[in-house]
Amino acid sequence: MKDSLYLAWRYLHHHRAKTLLLVLSLTVFLGLPLVMHAMSAVIQQSLLARAEGTPLLLGKKGSSLDLVVEALYFQPKGIEALTAADADEVDATGLALAIPMRTGLLAQQFPLVGTSLDYFAFRGLETADGRALAKLGECVIGADVAATLGLNPGDSILTSPSTLFDLAGVYPLRLHVVGTLQPSYGPDDRAVFVDVRTAWVAEGLGHGHQDLATASGDVLLKRKGGTATANAKLVQYNEITDENADSFHFHGDPASHPLSAVIVVPADDKAGVLLRGRFVNDSARQLLRPAQVVEGLNAQIFRFERVLQIIVWTVGLATALMFLLVMVLSWRLRADELRTMTRLGCSRWKAVQIMSAEVFLMVGTSVVLAAFFGFVIAHYGETWLQNLVLRGS
Amino acid sequence: MAPESGPTGLLTMRGSTMRRAWVVFSAALLALGCSKADAPQSLASKGDRPLSVYTVNYPLAYFAERLAPEGVEVVFPAPPEVDPAFWKPTPKEIGQYQRAGQILLNGAGYARWTRYATLPKSRVVITANGCRETLLKTGDAVTHQHGPGGDHAHEGAAFTTWLDMRLALCQASRIHDALAQLAPATKDAVRTNFEALTRDLTQLDTRLRSVAKASDDQPMLASHPVYQYLADAYGLRIESMHFEPDEALTPKDIQALDSLLERHPAKLMLWEAQPLPETEQALRDRGITTVVFDPAAQPPTNGDFLTVMTGNAKRLACATGAEACP
Repeated sequence: MKDSLYLAWRYLHHHRAKTLLLVLSLTVFLGLPLVMHAMSAVIQQSLLARAEGTPLLLGKKGSSLDLVVEALYFQPKGIEALTAADADEVDATGLALAIPMRTGLLAQQFPLVGTSLDYFAFRGLETADGRALAKLGECVIGADVAATLGLNPGDSILTSPSTLFDLAGVYPLRLHVVGTLQPSYGPDDRAVFVDVRTAWVAEGLGHGHQDLATASGDVLLKRKGGTATANAKLVQYNEITDENADSFHFHGDPASHPLSAVIVVPADDKAGVLLRGRFVNDSARQLLRPAQVVEGLNAQIFRFERVLQIIVWTVGLATALMFLLVMVLSWRLRADELRTMTRLGCSRWKAVQIMSAEVFLMVGTSVVLAAFFGFVIAHYGETWLQNLVLRGS
Repeated sequence: MAPESGPTGLLTMRGSTMRRAWVVFSAALLALGCSKADAPQSLASKGDRPLSVYTVNYPLAYFAERLAPEGVEVVFPAPPEVDPAFWKPTPKEIGQYQRAGQILLNGAGYARWTRYATLPKSRVVITANGCRETLLKTGDAVTHQHGPGGDHAHEGAAFTTWLDMRLALCQASRIHDALAQLAPATKDAVRTNFEALTRDLTQLDTRLRSVAKASDDQPMLASHPVYQYLADAYGLRIESMHFEPDEALTPKDIQALDSLLERHPAKLMLWEAQPLPETEQALRDRGITTVVFDPAAQPPTNGDFLTVMTGNAKRLACATGAEACP
């Protein structure tokens, strides 16, 4: 058998171009369904894993899928906002921990996520370099953000203006990178995390400026009694530093500030059921189980996968027939060669063994290559695949 | 082993090379596979809260120490020379707060750094929250307008809440709840400690009330606007200046004092610490007695919160004539 394998290997090695073409076409034929299946499984698993890792999600009434996609995978869907009071309400029940989520803004094309420190412990996110958030104006970036933008602790990143043509709108806020996260192989790798209040400052709900009590006359339009009116010269800070942090403040009731969603972590199963009961008849808000929503999405992906499978198997069948044809024609062309082998004393059975070994080596190599590509895509394309699916969801 | 010669030997050698390649390939796949599984897990798991309590001022640290069962560490990390209300901790110090089992904030805007620090909400207890319907204001803000936001003012709340002993007791009760949550197994011990603290604070409250009653509504001055809750709780008529105990009065200060005395003829002035002798003399010249009423935001050199407050009450009682001076 070893001799047959050796002769087959030498033959394939001699006809490198033909072998390469055949191996590649076989790899595509075998790899496509493998890759497709791996992709589908990975997407479904990773989506479900993250959703299952999020016990409950509170949001405004509307599309539950949009809510889950924006709050868990940071893909902007323009969902209606809750208020900070809603998170406080959950906290006040004593049944669960409420983790605020403010999404929708970007920082250099990566999602800016305003949340609390509890989020990092909840998701098990660890700092690879630097430290955790300590003050307003600081950010911790995901592994992909750090790698793509080449950022390290000590660097800074600008938030993207929310409205490009709104000249009177909110100016970008310069965020100080204080830490980078270890890869978590999920949406957290592609996010810029800030304190939820920093997100509100970036949205223009809070700001810092010169102290008007001590400001010079050229920034004041009028001062009457205890009221001062500033003109456009008043310096508003676009960066929160140790020196000006004290001057940052929010207007209006802090409880009315917007949150995209609230991750609700019940103390136990009973607390979860009690909480769900409280929101079941709520006309403005929904408290949902993200896993349930993602299972629905997965069912759609599965249906789509089945249609694709039919197409792929049809193409595959055509490829297999082509391969068979090529092999048959090749054996015909090699009739003289086989005759010489027989005259040299090679049995007919040995000739069959050599031909079979050639097929075995080509198919074997194709299987290994297809498995390798399937594995790589399934393993490293997870975030990319998630984004691909969720953007279109 | 030396490779065999001839076609079969060659095949064996090639075969072993291929086997080695396959082993390397498999190992690479395994390594790739492991890279995700080996991803580091969270150090901060949800259930393992450290048994430590960090506070933003000494009164809260005192209450926590009185209530805490054995094994719970109470930490008040502000350096002694700094007023904790205006202390600016470093990110490293904020990190220590973040890792605490419970973080006790005073509330009412006390410790300005907490406004811009990122703290884990689930472990933060704002002790003064809900203890009063409305917080007292400092009343020194400028209302201003810039941009389309309309008028607004950054008026601060008065924050020395613990000078009203009933408020202090309410804050202590919040600490009691926090400790019971942090160390549920020692709930009974915390409860017993709380009962003892309640007795002490109630006694102090009763004493301050009787001193205030005996002071017969006489006008008083304060070197700093930190006695709002004391005045409000015990019915004291206090007007505040902005004098520092370790700084001599300037002519402008004297002018402001004289101007205030015209409409508020006080004979007593409360100070956070002993003022300079020349300041005391200037006040004495105007018939004003200096009374040190230490808010005890920092730990005292001798004694504790209770002894400091008892000393405050004694000095006030002596100055107002409510009690005989020692």
